Amino acid sequence: MESSHMDSNTRQGEEKDMKISTLTIAAVSATALTGPAFADKLDDIIASGTLRCAVVLDFPPMGSRDENNEPQGFDVDYCNDLAAALGVEAEVVETTFPERIPALVSGQVDVAVASTSDTLERAKTVGFTIPYYAFENAVVANEGVEMSSWEDLQGKTVGATAGTYEAIWLEGKIDEWGEGEFRPYQNQADVFLALSQGQLDATVSTVEVAEANVASGNYDGIKIVDKAPMVPDYVGLITLRGEYGLIDYMNLFINQQVRTGRYAELYEKWVGEGEPADLTIQGVYR
Amino acid sequence: MFNYTFQWKQVYARLPEMLEGALVTMQIAVLSMVIGIVLAVMLTLFRLSGNRILGGVAQAWVEVARNTPALFQIYMAHFGVASFGIHFSPWTSLLIGITFNNAGYLAENFRGALKAIPDTQARSGRSLGMSELQAFRHIVLPQMLRIAFLPMSNQMVWAVLMTSLGVTVGMNTDLYGVTQDLNALTFRTFELFFVAGVIFYAIVKLIQLATRLIAWRMFRY
Repeated sequence: MESSHMDSNTRQGEEKDMKISTLTIAAVSATALTGPAFADKLDDIIASGTLRCAVVLDFPPMGSRDENNEPQGFDVDYCNDLAAALGVEAEVVETTFPERIPALVSGQVDVAVASTSDTLERAKTVGFTIPYYAFENAVVANEGVEMSSWEDLQGKTVGATAGTYEAIWLEGKIDEWGEGEFRPYQNQADVFLALSQGQLDATVSTVEVAEANVASGNYDGIKIVDKAPMVPDYVGLITLRGEYGLIDYMNLFINQQVRTGRYAELYEKWVGEGEPADLTIQGVYR
Repeated sequence: MFNYTFQWKQVYARLPEMLEGALVTMQIAVLSMVIGIVLAVMLTLFRLSGNRILGGVAQAWVEVARNTPALFQIYMAHFGVASFGIHFSPWTSLLIGITFNNAGYLAENFRGALKAIPDTQARSGRSLGMSELQAFRHIVLPQMLRIAFLPMSNQMVWAVLMTSLGVTVGMNTDLYGVTQDLNALTFRTFELFFVAGVIFYAIVKLIQLATRLIAWRMFRY
């Protein structure tokens, strides 16, 4: 630098160089002490010591509350496991299905462990991990309604929980058939209340939810009719779309949950005996 | 602030669906006002009748409509009556809930308006040979509606905004319901609700403008 002045101002130039290098050293050491300037979400979580998860607690057996009003369920345990892996405290933040995204984007939570179906439309907005669970769906009907297979949904008044994969599927079917009526209710409890009251002829819900609700005896006069013919409803963890560090970490975490047998353990604890769904898809890499 | 990129194009593509929803919202609001005004006049007559039972019914209606959340009233019109085996569609439940609320508030507006009309008005009608009902119909009612006109427009605004509670009873064709549906599909929460908010604002402004024009046209002395 300043080569044309070097001869006449050698001393000055040297002094200046020294000044700059001193400054550089000071800056570098300051940066090293305070951490990198562009900490990502993964760094933030580790630094803060808390992982805040959005969980839907109106969706047993994935999320619900126990008799002491404490959060419980597959998703709650999954959040706790993730926090333990990160070496931080887990904080469960209850949201409804439609509230997951505002909670995430406004920074109230770090991730949503909330059985979020990984549609391509949604992946334009938020970042999905690989699937951590997969649901099959069942058709549940009011006992007073004649139904023997899922095709009898045609022409019926049906409903499902707003914002879920099964609701999107069911509304699409009603549009396709051009008859019948679809009603999205704001939570799972209202859907089953309406079904038990006979306001709805039938609903589609995950097999897990259907079995839990029929077994609970909270809703009179409902029966499981048939499986719904959907592609398995793969669900992923979600966070902000650009948080690659966190998404990478969570992908590995999901892989480890399966490989260590924790996935099967949680399945048995919350869903019951049997094989948990296969999370891989034959014939494609991811 | 938000660590988020706003994507308006995705929302503009859905604008026709949202505007269709806005029409349903308007339709319910207008119907609930028309029926609500008729019911409120009826409640006012009940209260004026001096009949204990009718007066009690009117009083109870006004008390419940004004002192419980509109959400509760709409929820009751759907899930509440269903436990007695009466099933209303979400559209009907929402209309009933808002109409019930409107009638209660409007009856109170009318009661206030009646106080502003001197007793001598009805009495001079009677002295001209009108029956009590005729005097009410031809002398008192027009003045009452005129005095209560601006509070009525206020209630109309409330009716529009209350339609957003329809989602709790499974409504998905009104503006708010359509927005919720699109939100579930695309997760574009902020853009969608911002646009819905703008449409609601525009509808309300339109109502205010219309009432100004009507008032200016009708109430010139």
